[in-house]
Amino acid sequence: MVQGTLDLLILKTVALEPAHGWAIARRIRQVSKDVLLVNQGALYPALHRLEANGWIRAEWGESENNRRAKYYSLTKAGRRYMREEEANWERLSAAIGLVLKMN
Amino acid sequence: MRWVDKLRMGIRSVLRRGAAEHELDEELRFHLERQIAENVKAGVTPAEARRRAIIEFGGVEAMKEVCRDTRKGNWIHDFKQDVRYAGRVLRKSPGFAAIAMVTLALGIGANTAIFSVVNATLLKPLPFRHPEKVVALWQTESAPGSYPLTGEDYLDWKSQNHTFEGMSLFSWPTSATIAVGGEPEGATLVRTEANFFSLLGVFPQGRTFADGEDHNGGSHVAILSYSLWKSRFGAARDVLGKFVSLNGEEYAVIGVMPAWYRMPATADLWVPMDMSKKNLGTRGEHRWRAIGRVKEGVTIVQARADLRALAEGYEKQFPDTNRNVDAIVTPMREDLIGNFSAQILIMFGAVGLVLLIACANVANLLLARSTARRREIAVRSALGAGRGRLVRQLLTESILLSLVGGVLGVAIAFGGIGALRVALPSTVPQPNPVAVDLGPLFFTFVVCIGVGMLFGLAPAVQSATVSSTEALKSRGAVGADGSARGRWLRNFLVGGEIALSLALLAGAGLLLRTFSHLRSTDIGVRGANVLTVSVRLPEKQYKTLDQGTAFYGQVVEKLGKSPGVVAAAVTTKLPLEGGQNGYITIPGQQTEKMTGPLVEWSSVSTDYFRAMGIPLLEGRELTADDFEATAKVVREITAAKDDAERQALAAKYVIPTVINQTMAKTFWPKRSAIGKIFENFALYRVVGVVGDVKQQRVRDAAMPETYLSLSWELGDPSRPFALVVKSAGAPESLTSTVRGVVQSMDPNLALFKVRTMPQIVAESMQDTSYEAALLGAMAILALVLASVGTYGVMSYVVGQRTNEIGIRMALGAQPVEIMGMILRQVLSVVGAGISVGLLAATALAQIMKGLLVGVAPFDAVTYLGVAVVLAVVALLACYVPVRRAMRVDPVLALRYE
Repeated sequence: MVQGTLDLLILKTVALEPAHGWAIARRIRQVSKDVLLVNQGALYPALHRLEANGWIRAEWGESENNRRAKYYSLTKAGRRYMREEEANWERLSAAIGLVLKMN
Repeated sequence: MRWVDKLRMGIRSVLRRGAAEHELDEELRFHLERQIAENVKAGVTPAEARRRAIIEFGGVEAMKEVCRDTRKGNWIHDFKQDVRYAGRVLRKSPGFAAIAMVTLALGIGANTAIFSVVNATLLKPLPFRHPEKVVALWQTESAPGSYPLTGEDYLDWKSQNHTFEGMSLFSWPTSATIAVGGEPEGATLVRTEANFFSLLGVFPQGRTFADGEDHNGGSHVAILSYSLWKSRFGAARDVLGKFVSLNGEEYAVIGVMPAWYRMPATADLWVPMDMSKKNLGTRGEHRWRAIGRVKEGVTIVQARADLRALAEGYEKQFPDTNRNVDAIVTPMREDLIGNFSAQILIMFGAVGLVLLIACANVANLLLARSTARRREIAVRSALGAGRGRLVRQLLTESILLSLVGGVLGVAIAFGGIGALRVALPSTVPQPNPVAVDLGPLFFTFVVCIGVGMLFGLAPAVQSATVSSTEALKSRGAVGADGSARGRWLRNFLVGGEIALSLALLAGAGLLLRTFSHLRSTDIGVRGANVLTVSVRLPEKQYKTLDQGTAFYGQVVEKLGKSPGVVAAAVTTKLPLEGGQNGYITIPGQQTEKMTGPLVEWSSVSTDYFRAMGIPLLEGRELTADDFEATAKVVREITAAKDDAERQALAAKYVIPTVINQTMAKTFWPKRSAIGKIFENFALYRVVGVVGDVKQQRVRDAAMPETYLSLSWELGDPSRPFALVVKSAGAPESLTSTVRGVVQSMDPNLALFKVRTMPQIVAESMQDTSYEAALLGAMAILALVLASVGTYGVMSYVVGQRTNEIGIRMALGAQPVEIMGMILRQVLSVVGAGISVGLLAATALAQIMKGLLVGVAPFDAVTYLGVAVVLAVVALLACYVPVRRAMRVDPVLALRYE
C-alpha cells in the first residue's frame, strides 16, 4: 500500500478514538472486510513518522487485558491534514473512475 | 510540528535513547503477544501460534531501524558516529595527521605570538589618558637632528603657549646609588617635574608627586618601578612610607608604578626634580626632555605652530644661544616607536608569509589525500551513502584535524609569548604589556581552520566531477596522480611554499650578515680585555675638586697595583655612549657660535687611551701636568663670584686637550691640528690627536671629539664616572678586584653597569641581533614547513604512481631511470620555486634596505647560499619517497589495489 494512503487510513482510524498499534491494524482489517491487511513492518514506521510530523500523539495507557500499551490519538494539526488528504483522495478516485468509465 | 518541538523531541530522544528503545521494544512485544493470542484463539497451539506470529512480524531489527530513523533525533547520533569514524581514519594515517596538525599548530601558534608582540608594541594605543593628545617635545639646533630642551626655553614655552593643557619636564636616565637598608646598588633614576604622571594620566599605587614637590631642590620622595619593587623590596605590601637611600640621602617611597609601565624603559625609580632656574641651566644648554598634553579641540599641528612661533621669537631675542633653535612636537606614539615601525612591519610581513606557507601546506596535504581517497569515496557512494552524509563525514574529519591542530596552536601561542616577552630587548618600546591577544589568535585560528575545512572537502567536490565507475576503475592508469588541474594546483602550492621560504631565508640571511658585519666593525678601541664600571660618589661627602681628585686618584693608583690589571683609568663617557656635545668656535676661522658640526666632550684620566687601546696618532697624550693645569682653572672658576668673573677667567687660560682624528680633519683639514686653538666658553689648545672612537651606534660614523683632563669634571665629583680597567686576562675576573678597591675607600659605594667592552658593543646591537634572531627563527620555520610539505606531496605522488613505476620496471626500466623520472618532476617545481623566490627575495631586500649595514640588498653571496640550501633541503625531502620509488617491486606494484 502506498505510504500516503496508509497514513490517511491510520489517521482516520484514530480520529474516532485513541487506539494502540494492534487495534489500529485490526480495525482497518475489519472495516475493509479483510481486504486491507496492514503489515506490522509498515504500520509501526508509519506510526512513528506520523508522530514525528506532529499529526498524532502517543500516550502510554492500560490496554483491555491490563497490559501497558502505547495509545495514539489525533492532534489538531493531524485533523486538518487528514481532511486535506481525504479531499485529495476523493478527487483522485473520482478522476480515476471517470477515466475507467471511458469505454 | 514547530521547530522548537522538533528540537525538543530530538534532544529528548538522544537523552532518553535508552528509554525510547525500551518503549519501542515494549510496543512491539505487545503487538506480538496480541497476534499470538489471536492465533491461539483461531485454534493453533501456542508454540505454533508463536512461530507464525514471529514469521508474520517480519524482520524486527530492520523495522526498528526504520523507526529509529524517523525519530529525527538522529543527527546527533550521526555526528557522534562521524567523529568516531573520523578519529579512526586519522589514526590510520598518523603521519599525515601529525604533519597536518603540527603545521596548523605552528602556523597558528607562532603567528599569534609574534602578532601579539607587534600589537602590544606597535599597534595598540598607548595606555595613557587620551594618548593621542600626548606629545614629546624636542628642539632643533644648528646641527641636524633633534635635541633635548634647554630649561629656560622650556619654562618660557610653558608660560607663553596657548595650545597646551600642560607640559612636564624630565631628565635623561642617570645612574644613582641606592641602598635599601644595607648593600648599596646601582639603579637608574629619572627626575621629573611634579606633574609628570598626572599629565600622562598614569597613576602609581600610592600617590604621585604633589605640586610643589619639585621646588626647594626637590622633595625627597620617590616612586618605584614595579620591577625595582619586586627585586629590592621583595614586593612588600607595606613599602609605602619606607625609606630608600639615594646617593647617600634618604628618600621616602610614596608610590609604585604598575607592572606594565616602562617609560623610559630602563628607569628604576622617579624622583621630583629641582625646577629652580639654577638647576635647569642656561639657554643654550640642551639637557632636558619634556612631554606635553595638547588642549581639547587643538590639533598637534596647531600646537607645533604655536611653539614654533615662540621659538622664532626667542631666536630674535637671544641670537647667541637660540639661533636655529626651533620646536619639534612629535606625537608620543611616534616618538616611542618611530624607529621601530620598519622593523616591526617586516616582522609582520614574515609572519604573514609563514601563515601562508602553513596554509598552503595543509591545503596541499589535504588535496593529495583527497585524490588518494577518490576510490574510497566512489565505493562508499556506490554503496548508497548520500552526498550529504559523505560531505558531513569529510567535514567532520577536517574539523577534528583542524581543532586538534588549533588547540596545539593556542598552547604554542601562550608558551611562545612568554619566551618572546623575556627575549625582547629593553630598547624595543613596550608601552603595553605583551600578552596573547585574543583578536589575532581568533583570526589566525579561523583562517587556518577555514583552510583545513575548505580543502578537507576536496574529496567530496572531486567525487562530483568524476563518475563512480571511472573512479572505481582507475588504478595504475597513467597520470594516476590526479587530474591535470589537481596536479597543477599541487605543484603551484609546493613551488609557492619554496618561493616564500627562500624569500624569508634570504631576508634572514641578509640580517645575519648585517649583524656579523656590525660585530666585526672596529669601533676604535681595542676593548677585548677591558672592563668598565660606573661609580657615583654621594653629594654630601664629596663636594670639592680636591675630594674628587683624592678619591679617584687613589682608586686608579690602587687598581694599577692590583694583580691582573694592565692599566686603569677614569672617564666621564664610554664609547658608544655619547651625547655630551656642543659647538665650538675657532678664533680666526669659525666665528659664528652655536653652529657647525657638533663636538663630543669627554674628560679622562691620564692612562685612558692606553687602557682603552686608542692609538695616538700625533702629538702627545694628556699628562699629570695637564691635569694640574686644568685643575687650577677649575678651582678659580669655581671660586668665581659671578658669570662675568667666570667669563674673564675662561678667557685667561688655555686648556690642553687631545682631539680625535675626525675633529682634526673636520676643522683643520689641510694642516696638522697640533697647537691649534678653539673655544667653547674657555679656550683649548690641541696637544695630541688620537684615533676615532664611535660615540653613537656601531653603524654610525664617529663624530668629532675632544678629550680634556679629568680635573675638568672633578669639580663636580658626585657626578657619575666610569672606571676603565684593562685586564691581562679575562676582564670579568677583575670585577671583584674593582669592587674591593672601591669599597675599601668607601664601603657605601655601589658599582653599577659593570660591563666589559664587548658587552657594551653587544648591547648597542641588541636590536639587530633580536631582529636577526626572530627573522631567522621564522625563516627556519618556513623552511621546515616547506620541506615537510614537499615530502608529503612527493610521498603521495610516488604512492600514486607506484603502478606506473611497476609497469615501467617490468618493461625493463632501471631504478636509476625511475629516480630520474621522479626527480625531473621534483626539480622543475623546485627550480621554479627558487626562481620566483629569488625575485621575492629581492623585493623583500628592498623593503629591508634601511636595516642593512655593510651588505647590499642584492648580495649575491647570500642569495646563492640560500638558494643552494633550499635546493638541498628540497632534494633531501624527496629522498625517502624517491628511494621508495626505486625499490618498487614490479610484481607487488602490478597487484597494487
